[in-house]
Amino acid sequence: MTIAAINEQLLRAIGVGVALLDLDSFRLRFCNDTFREWFGEIEIGGELLDLFAGFDADKLREGLDTEGRYTTETTFRLRRRTMTIAMSFNRALDDGEAIAVLVCQNISRIKELESMIDSYSMMVERNTREIKREKEQVEKLLLNMMPRSVYEEYKTFGVVTPRLYEPVSVVCIDFIGFAEMVSAHDPAVIVSELNDIYTAFDRIGEQFGCARIRAVGDLYIAVAGMPDPAEDHAQSAANAAIRFLRYLSQRNTSHQIQWTCRVGMASGSVVGSVVGVQKYIYDVFGPAVIHASRLRYHARPMKIVGNAALVEQLGSQFAISDAGTLALSEGEEEPAFAIEAEVRTLQDS
Amino acid sequence: MEQTLFERYGGFSVVSRIVLDLYERLLDDDDVGPFFDDIDMARIVDHQTKFLSSLMGGPASYTEDQIRKMHARLDINDVHFDKLEAILRQTLSDHGVSQQDQDTIVGAFESRRSLVVEKAP
Repeated sequence: MTIAAINEQLLRAIGVGVALLDLDSFRLRFCNDTFREWFGEIEIGGELLDLFAGFDADKLREGLDTEGRYTTETTFRLRRRTMTIAMSFNRALDDGEAIAVLVCQNISRIKELESMIDSYSMMVERNTREIKREKEQVEKLLLNMMPRSVYEEYKTFGVVTPRLYEPVSVVCIDFIGFAEMVSAHDPAVIVSELNDIYTAFDRIGEQFGCARIRAVGDLYIAVAGMPDPAEDHAQSAANAAIRFLRYLSQRNTSHQIQWTCRVGMASGSVVGSVVGVQKYIYDVFGPAVIHASRLRYHARPMKIVGNAALVEQLGSQFAISDAGTLALSEGEEEPAFAIEAEVRTLQDS
Repeated sequence: MEQTLFERYGGFSVVSRIVLDLYERLLDDDDVGPFFDDIDMARIVDHQTKFLSSLMGGPASYTEDQIRKMHARLDINDVHFDKLEAILRQTLSDHGVSQQDQDTIVGAFESRRSLVVEKAP
């Protein structure tokens, strides 16, 4: 077998469609078996452009005349399959005659894979967005339960080291006659009212660096001076507490249900830690919380009672009056103080 | 956590190969093939890959309603569905899916037969 014959055999057998065209007329001079398999029987001498509907002959001509080549794609159905063929025309010379070599590659599978990749990346992106949204919700939920620094520690290490915070100031509030209110009103109304009030308290607290650590039923506890220590923790807590009362009084003037609270405040130490393994919460407990909680029982309606440690810190900025001594724990009397209002300095007024 | 079939057999890359092969066989079948005469194969392969993935515990999902709508205009009978299951089983087997896992996957198709097969009026 001659080299030319081998070449022709090879050319016929390869999985790439090959055809030779007359450059002037685009009439077919030769095509291999793969070409015929894809485009059907075409007679030698037949016009190539008859094979393809919507083929842009002018662009082909222009491409071959200027750059000497032209590429395009064609899509058709063959044995139920969508075939996409990439066609590449190249100008060549054969014994001085101008011809074009047409090489066709089956890129159907590539096209299928491309569209599959597009579809999967869209799905992955959608899933990623969903995961991100869920993660943000979890984060938001956890940040409701614990300070950010504690959350960061929990996220990084999976545990939170219990920490002693000292000194901090605690504000403890509850509502007088809450049990009666719950039975007298629709539960949804009570919850909605509490939501409203606690949201306002949270905002006020945030303004003064006195963050809520717990709200259980009608008991609302906020702390100033943690997780980041603050020198003015007592002032922060007192400022917040006074505004809690002011807000509530204001609210009562325009709302049907009247809320009357009492406030206990104490400075001292607390421990902050995540408690529980499965159903964990971030809890803050310790002397200052207990103190504030007990003091609130002794507060008259819409009044604030604080301990000595707190009052020492407050200085002259607040109107404070002696409220005698109270037996907060068995056998131990200690002084208590009524905190009336923030005293406005000359500068402020 | 227990690995899903999807993870165990190599995720999308393997499932898409199985699906491409499955459609090669379906298209050549004289009973089932004609259903695909006027169908955009890229789309259907994409759907089927996601569907098969979801049956194997992968990250996609199709509701019964979606499946019903996709086949609503097709006159598919039990013979066609049986043929699909047979070809699917053979394809899974040729791609090294164990007998037990073939049963699981083909069983999941079977449980959706009523969504796809046109009931005689």
